[in-house]
Amino acid sequence: MAINRALELKSQGRQVTLVDLDTVEPFYTLRPLKELLEQKGLTVIGLTPANSFGLGETGAMLVPAARWALRREGDIILDVGYGVYGAQTLNLVEGADTSTELRVIAVINYSRPMTSTKGRIIEYVKELGRVDALVANTHLGDETTSEVIEKGTQVILECAEELGIPVDYIAVDRKLADKWSPDFGVPVKWITRYMPAAVW
Amino acid sequence: MLKVVDETKKAFLTGNETIAWAALAAGADIMFGYPITPQNEVMHYWTRLAPKYGRGFLQTEDEISAGFTVCGAVQAGKKAFTATAGPGNVLMQEPFGMAEAMRLPLFAIIQQRGGPSSGTVIYSQQEVTLTTFGGNGEGYRVVYSSATHQEIYDYTIKGFNVAWKYRWPTFLLGDGYQAKMREPLEMYNPEEKGIELEPAYPLLGLPGKIGEDREPQHLCNIYSLEEELYDVVMNLSADYERVAPELIEWQEHSCEDADIIILTHGVVSRAADDAVKALRAQGIKAGYFRPITLRPYPTQQLREAIAKSGAKKLLIAESSYGQFERLTKQEIYGETIKIEQLYMPGVGIIDHDIINKVKSVL
Repeated sequence: MAINRALELKSQGRQVTLVDLDTVEPFYTLRPLKELLEQKGLTVIGLTPANSFGLGETGAMLVPAARWALRREGDIILDVGYGVYGAQTLNLVEGADTSTELRVIAVINYSRPMTSTKGRIIEYVKELGRVDALVANTHLGDETTSEVIEKGTQVILECAEELGIPVDYIAVDRKLADKWSPDFGVPVKWITRYMPAAVW
Repeated sequence: MLKVVDETKKAFLTGNETIAWAALAAGADIMFGYPITPQNEVMHYWTRLAPKYGRGFLQTEDEISAGFTVCGAVQAGKKAFTATAGPGNVLMQEPFGMAEAMRLPLFAIIQQRGGPSSGTVIYSQQEVTLTTFGGNGEGYRVVYSSATHQEIYDYTIKGFNVAWKYRWPTFLLGDGYQAKMREPLEMYNPEEKGIELEPAYPLLGLPGKIGEDREPQHLCNIYSLEEELYDVVMNLSADYERVAPELIEWQEHSCEDADIIILTHGVVSRAADDAVKALRAQGIKAGYFRPITLRPYPTQQLREAIAKSGAKKLLIAESSYGQFERLTKQEIYGETIKIEQLYMPGVGIIDHDIINKVKSVL
């Protein structure tokens, strides 16, 4: 999601920095994609497989530049880590608690068991602390169908209303673009799944 | 008890997350563990979920302690488990051996990582020998080697049941890839599928007076007389061999007329399945055989697959340097089929690797 948003902003001619804040465990990390994304014009703050080679379990570290990322010019996308405590890595970024420009967006997949019911989604978002908006991203990887997305999106929209926060957009795999025309009264963004290529 | 799965439906999870949910669904009471990649998220998710369902967790000071606390908890009647990998699996061999000796219903998840090393965290299938025959014993264990997240869910639930029904240490053998990748699976409450959960039961502190109301409960782990140990091991072996046919699980297809049978286990079986289909489409008669239980091994079933096919070759593909082949060879000793190897330690095996190897040896 972070990659897609960064590339979307880049395509508008903007200066974009993407920051890898996955420190819980170095997986679902941008590392294997860093070079590719830099070729696409993004500035990427994060390790590569080459410069984290041999670190083993000690490889779950933060690149020092990530701490000061919010002081940079242009658009800054913080890909805040995966995992149970992933969201807490935001605390490591200087200015994250004081920035007036920062927006915290929670990406919700109704097919994830932690967010598989209305009650669980609301509980999950509240646990994250500050959340300014949601992105509805219900999918089952290669087994995603329009029915799966429709059901999940409906529930996520209901949760957003109850929480009093907006749903910025619905993110849907580009592969479904020809087969489905969703109408939820919320913008749809067709995304490319990059992470299957990021096996660590 | 709070229902673990609200609705039976497809969900999108990592393998480690799948284990935590499946352990909840299986009625696990408590996890004892020590952090190690690539199983950490089993603990992460368990510690997040457990309090909501009234379950427990204790992080011990190391893996030896984690293994022994599981041994203690199951004797007290708790459905306890642990998860580990690599050097953690090495350290846990002592408590695993104790569980074999005392017939403790222990369940452990092993997410294999590479070796030889204490710190290599990447994918591999190099804990086959350690998990099946590690420790100073005879390998009285049940080892399920999973290939998909659905199997991780199913065999975690089954693993608890098998452990508590048969009282052998039972393992789910995964790997770094299965631990970390996400894929869809169906989550369910076992009872709703007609799966009856084996109850946990105390092995110590039983009611009644010994000698009057009940026989003494012998949970012995130390034998000082050679003849006594001889009797114990012979009895354990007989017990294990008696129930082995009930425990053995395997998958095979396309072996009936195969010229070559591809033998794999775990996640590599996915590549073998694709390879066999692709080879068949090209007119090459390839067969697929996969032990789901590495202990006890589907020896008779593999011998029969070889016999009925008349295959000339058996290709063993594994992400290690011969651990699976050695296990297989000792089980099918005497077969004259030529064995070919595709060893890729530490490296994932895809269908093309197997297809190319088959074409090079046929």
